[in-house]
Amino acid sequence: MSRGVVALIVIAAALIAVPLAITNDFYLNLASQILIYALLAVSLNLLVGYGGMVSLGHASFIGLTSYSAVLMLNAGFGHLPSAILAVLFSTACGGLFGLLALRAFGIGFLMITLALGQIVWGIAYRANTLTEGDNGIRFSARPRPFGFDISSAPSFYWFTLIVFAVALFFIWRLTRSPFGAALQGARDQPRRMRMLGHNVWLIQWLAFVLSAFWGSVAGLLYVYYNLFISPHAISLQQSAEVLLMAILGGASTLTGPIVGAVIITLVKNVVSTYIDRWNSLLGAIFVVTIMFMPFGIVPGVRQLCARLRGAKKPERAA
Amino acid sequence: MTPALEITKLKKRFGGLPATRDVSLTVMPGERRLIIGPNGAGKTTLFNLVTGDLTPDEGSVKLFGQEMLKLPTQQRVHLGLARTYQILTLFPKETLCHNVVLALLGLDTMRWNPWRYLAGQSHLYAAAREALALVGLRDSAERTVAETSYGERRRLEMAMALAQKPKVLLLDEPLAGLSQQERQQVRELLAKVPRDVTIVMIEHDMDSALAFAERITLLHYGEVIVEGTRAEVVADPRTKEVYLGE
Repeated sequence: MSRGVVALIVIAAALIAVPLAITNDFYLNLASQILIYALLAVSLNLLVGYGGMVSLGHASFIGLTSYSAVLMLNAGFGHLPSAILAVLFSTACGGLFGLLALRAFGIGFLMITLALGQIVWGIAYRANTLTEGDNGIRFSARPRPFGFDISSAPSFYWFTLIVFAVALFFIWRLTRSPFGAALQGARDQPRRMRMLGHNVWLIQWLAFVLSAFWGSVAGLLYVYYNLFISPHAISLQQSAEVLLMAILGGASTLTGPIVGAVIITLVKNVVSTYIDRWNSLLGAIFVVTIMFMPFGIVPGVRQLCARLRGAKKPERAA
Repeated sequence: MTPALEITKLKKRFGGLPATRDVSLTVMPGERRLIIGPNGAGKTTLFNLVTGDLTPDEGSVKLFGQEMLKLPTQQRVHLGLARTYQILTLFPKETLCHNVVLALLGLDTMRWNPWRYLAGQSHLYAAAREALALVGLRDSAERTVAETSYGERRRLEMAMALAQKPKVLLLDEPLAGLSQQERQQVRELLAKVPRDVTIVMIEHDMDSALAFAERITLLHYGEVIVEGTRAEVVADPRTKEVYLGE
């Protein structure tokens, strides 16, 4: 067994054992939250890190999935159809957003995703009869997937962990697949990729849709966790936070956004109980990281380890 | 016989500057065509129009009789067009092998697969190594582009184009910036390219290029000034005037 496989098994076992070690519901729920944000950040990173397309509208998929799941459930659909249709609807919106955003690239792309995110937020805020506006709407109860009760903190944590692991496995496969190679090629040399026979636009659009899909799955977990959705959950700040997670942890890696999600969620929820100015602390962490590890924490730490081992091979940063 | 590449009355202006004026050019299958002309004659622009990097104002570009102007670049590639760039356009952080694999994927439907393990596709890597061996880079396959010399990168450009087994290959100054020895290697490589590949080449190095070319087209200010066999073009007084010097 290679060291990577051993490390993976140890990490998986540790993650599964978290509810046995942490009996305090607050911290266990925090762990679930971290997983949800990690999935959001990893899915966004398909676009940002692997596709080179920086988006400021990823939180809109939390909103599209959550609101549609709630509305369908309230309209009398069962849990399973609501969940599936909500994710499909949100992904389809992602397809449409992709069509619009990919009219531009770079800053233009960023601005369009920002505008689209604000439109979703605006609809949630203004369409009072549907969304209850600023008050938000309740989600009646968590589903019982395959008859399992996931209303308690440990069971919900395990449920989230399973979804997260499945999603991460698919995304990991993608990054090492021919499509993943084409996506990274389109990021680095779009013109050359066309000249090699690749349809750069379609590659990027499909990446956008896949990113939206996994973002929507995370959105579904979000509403299951909170049992509530309001415009605050899908604000520009939320989108920016998810983007920060990806960049802080290292957008060129698969695991970087997870590390970013852990740090930012912990600072937000734990440190904020001790320090009022937790936002400043977050800013300081960000600045220091970017100064010493310009490509994020995971690539930075890897580089450091390589240097300590005396290896001369430079870190490949995206 | 259908020409491999048929360019008819192609026009392209950049603002007020005509880069290509009424260029017509017919290249027969298997031909080795050289395009020469002073700087700014519109040689690379012509390539960009043929590949679809630029859209012409007027005219037609046919590959084996099929009109290509409405097609996006990648579809032209699927019809058998390949090119190398004057300014190197590679994937610097990747290995040479991976660069060629991206070229092979471009024509393989597997490129859409988000599940299969790319590094496990041994047939792709074997084909990529074969293409690298063809240009004399067999031993450098696992190095990254950033670790290679300029001459090796030029040859990598060729390997990527040749790996696609194109019908028409456009070479934009394949000898530029190479040492004498490297030039010799590229010349030998070009001589080995099978005749079912039509080659159109832009080149300034007249010693190498003249030996290679069967027919030559001289461009000047976006127009075809002289066209003919090697001997005809070299003997033409206008060639001397605009290009070879007195």
